Amino acid sequence: MAETSVTVKQEMPDEAETGSSSGSYVEKRILEICHQDAKGVSDSALQIHLPNVDVQEKVKAINSLLSKGQIDLVQGSNNQLLYKIKDTQKQVDLRGSDNQERLVYQIIKEAGNKGIWIRDIRRGCGLAPPPLNKILKKLENRKVIKAIKSVGDSKKKVYMLFELEPDRSVTGGAWYSDQDFDAEFVNVLNQTCFKFLQEKMEAASKLDVDPLLKLNRSYASPEEVWKYIQELGLLSNGVNLGVDDIETILNTLIYDGKVEMTVSVNKSEQKGRTKMFRAIQPLTEPAGIMRIPCGVCPVFDNCYEGGAVSPSTCIYMKEWMDY
Amino acid sequence: MSAAAIRLACHLIQEHFGEIVEKVCRFLLENGSSQLRVVVKRTNIQLSQVKKALCVLISHGIVAFESTKVGVVEYTANINHCLLLARYPRFIYSAKTLYGDAGELIVEELLRGGQMLMSMVVERVTERLRRAVEGSQKVEPSLARGKFIQLVEARFVQRVPDMPDPTKEEPSPSSDIPKDEAVLYKLPSFVHDIGTPRGKRKREDKDDEQGQKAKRSRTDSSGETEYYIDEDIFWQVNLDRFHQYLRDQEIVNAVSRSCDKLGSEIVRTMLRMSELTTDKLANATAPMSFHEILRALPGNLNLDRNSLEQYLKVLTEDQTRIVSKVAEAGGGMYIVGILFVDLKEGSVAVCLSCIQSVVQERFGSKSHRIFKLLVLKKYLEQRQIESFALIPAKEAKDLLYQMFAEGYISVQELSKAPDHAPSRTYYPFFINLRQVAQKQQDRCFKSLANLIARRKYEMNENKRLLEKAQRVEVIANSFRSSGADESHIAEIEEMITPSEQELLKLNKARMAKLETSELQLDEMMFTLENFLIYQQSSISADSKKAKGTTSNR
Ligand code: SF4
Repeated sequence: MAETSVTVKQEMPDEAETGSSSGSYVEKRILEICHQDAKGVSDSALQIHLPNVDVQEKVKAINSLLSKGQIDLVQGSNNQLLYKIKDTQKQVDLRGSDNQERLVYQIIKEAGNKGIWIRDIRRGCGLAPPPLNKILKKLENRKVIKAIKSVGDSKKKVYMLFELEPDRSVTGGAWYSDQDFDAEFVNVLNQTCFKFLQEKMEAASKLDVDPLLKLNRSYASPEEVWKYIQELGLLSNGVNLGVDDIETILNTLIYDGKVEMTVSVNKSEQKGRTKMFRAIQPLTEPAGIMRIPCGVCPVFDNCYEGGAVSPSTCIYMKEWMDY
Repeated sequence: MSAAAIRLACHLIQEHFGEIVEKVCRFLLENGSSQLRVVVKRTNIQLSQVKKALCVLISHGIVAFESTKVGVVEYTANINHCLLLARYPRFIYSAKTLYGDAGELIVEELLRGGQMLMSMVVERVTERLRRAVEGSQKVEPSLARGKFIQLVEARFVQRVPDMPDPTKEEPSPSSDIPKDEAVLYKLPSFVHDIGTPRGKRKREDKDDEQGQKAKRSRTDSSGETEYYIDEDIFWQVNLDRFHQYLRDQEIVNAVSRSCDKLGSEIVRTMLRMSELTTDKLANATAPMSFHEILRALPGNLNLDRNSLEQYLKVLTEDQTRIVSKVAEAGGGMYIVGILFVDLKEGSVAVCLSCIQSVVQERFGSKSHRIFKLLVLKKYLEQRQIESFALIPAKEAKDLLYQMFAEGYISVQELSKAPDHAPSRTYYPFFINLRQVAQKQQDRCFKSLANLIARRKYEMNENKRLLEKAQRVEVIANSFRSSGADESHIAEIEEMITPSEQELLKLNKARMAKLETSELQLDEMMFTLENFLIYQQSSISADSKKAKGTTSNR
């Protein structure tokens, strides 16, 4: 976000020169205010910034800006109308390109940092593949857009604006190296985190303190786990893991049934709530059925007395009984 | 009921009551309610034998009879009661842990006999105890009677509800169901006189023999009713009570794993406090206050007010949510929480853990992760599953469809538009826990039947040898007791060759393994059953959301 607004600002003189040469002081002020808040400015906020401009004049200025396409009127979150600076980059980047290019650019831009597949671009603009490919090449060469390999499907390329940071769903985040899921890495982290929590729990259960304290001692925050992982030096290959990545790993441990999570509220004031994790044991012994051969038997459904496979003649049973 | 269940039921019946009873019961199970005439005709068994078989089944509560509108009596077998036969060893074992050897024998006798007179039970148990202790000390009947009374007071044993005598040939339909539960546990008043240790035991001792008792009681007590004491009151084991005990046990075990030993003792105390007041289908125990719990705690736990408070806090914050707090009431200077044990949550948590272990073993830990993820998050699409569980797309797809194919997870069609166009339709996965539990239950039935079948087969294979071994042992024993020569005995024992010895040992080990597994399997069946019962009871409330009652964290 910050990036865009900066570029926009740089283009300002250029823009002002061509677009709003006839614009009044009020128009300029409104544009400035809108620049400061890229999310949009409400009418009342505008009023505060322009204390001594009368309403009539303001309305006139806004109307003229709207008609010139320099600002937009959008609906904000609480049904408020907001004035928003129109992204002026488009005209800048694409000076000298034709309509088709502009259209393709627009489609790609709308896809945001999730990117868009070439098929979908084609559906959007209705161009035949050869000219479209040409346009994409051209844009790519001019570093307006870029192509990224998606993790979901290695053959699928998606396009997005050059300056955008691809979304996690495209790159897969920390767990992907070269668009391949690094299952081994995840496994190692999963086990290491669990080991840490387990040790912590065991240490806590040995303490001779109040039960409540014991319980609290067995919890660890994601930050602690993160620190532990960092100190272990597991991440030699230059992977940068954040605390939230560790949290994702800890979550997988929850799904593994090895860890539980509570939200503790009392921590430091400004943070409010922290998630705390702790190693747990399964509630029951392994189920009875899994301790006999029938539980994992591949021919379970074909087994009946007098059949080709029957309990009396079953070799799995025999092996198991004499084990 | 599934074929697997019927097969298992027949195996069990055959084991306990023999071939004929099995045939009759199988017929009833497969054909539903039938008249006596029909049973005789279709099973080709003599009338008198069918009658006897029905008699046995009725007294064990497996078969019920009812007279239809036209006045014919129809017999119906209840498969669930048949399946309980598999649990008898656990009942007996529980009685042993709670009430010692005498308790064990009483329950065993009652389970074997179905419905019995108290004097009969007491006599047999005394007899067996005497034999076990080898005359070193004379066991008095009052010991067994005392235990019997304890069992009744704890409601493990109850009166047979008023019904016409089942042995009669043409029983009239039973109309009067006991109005008050307490009636079932009412002890005849004279029993206290001679039964309790500090009663008039001394005086009673001599007259305590069978046969004289009924007479005595008549002369002893003034009321009319006492006359019937031994004549008419049949007792039976209260299976529901045992189930309750086993379920409580299960919950206590779960707590001891999720918290620690002391925590589980507290839960045990809480359960015990409410065990007589809580309905067997209730979702939770009756609320109890902090002070009540504190007072009821066994002294040897050494828990003071402070640590109990802390433990209760730990327990209520536990993820299993087995203990909850309903209210805070100011009691003196302390804030007193009213707590209760959530039986339903407990059963669900235990069942879930059981099913998860099945998934874990069957499909591996990655699948287990997906399964649990779905349990926690309810509805998820494949993509979401991949990113939550951190499992690569291809693998996740494999695992998901593998579990889907075996019915462990289900798919819901969710369409944004009424036309159900594929492009606007989502297919999120979810878990229908009830369905999974039922499936597992069925698998258990079949597996247990397999185990029993195998056990019978092993027995048959070595029948001759086993019989021989038994004969030899009897002979050797009788020689020994008659003080015969050691060498003589050894000679007899040598009739079993070393290779036969080997075989016997092997056979014994196999039997033991099969039997332990049968018990473990039954434990799992019990867990599933409990869960399904709770599901059933809440299903009317909300049938559609039944699968996810476990967690709302
Ligand atoms: S008895 Fe043997 S063949 Fe039959 S289900 Fe069990 S393991 Fe499989």
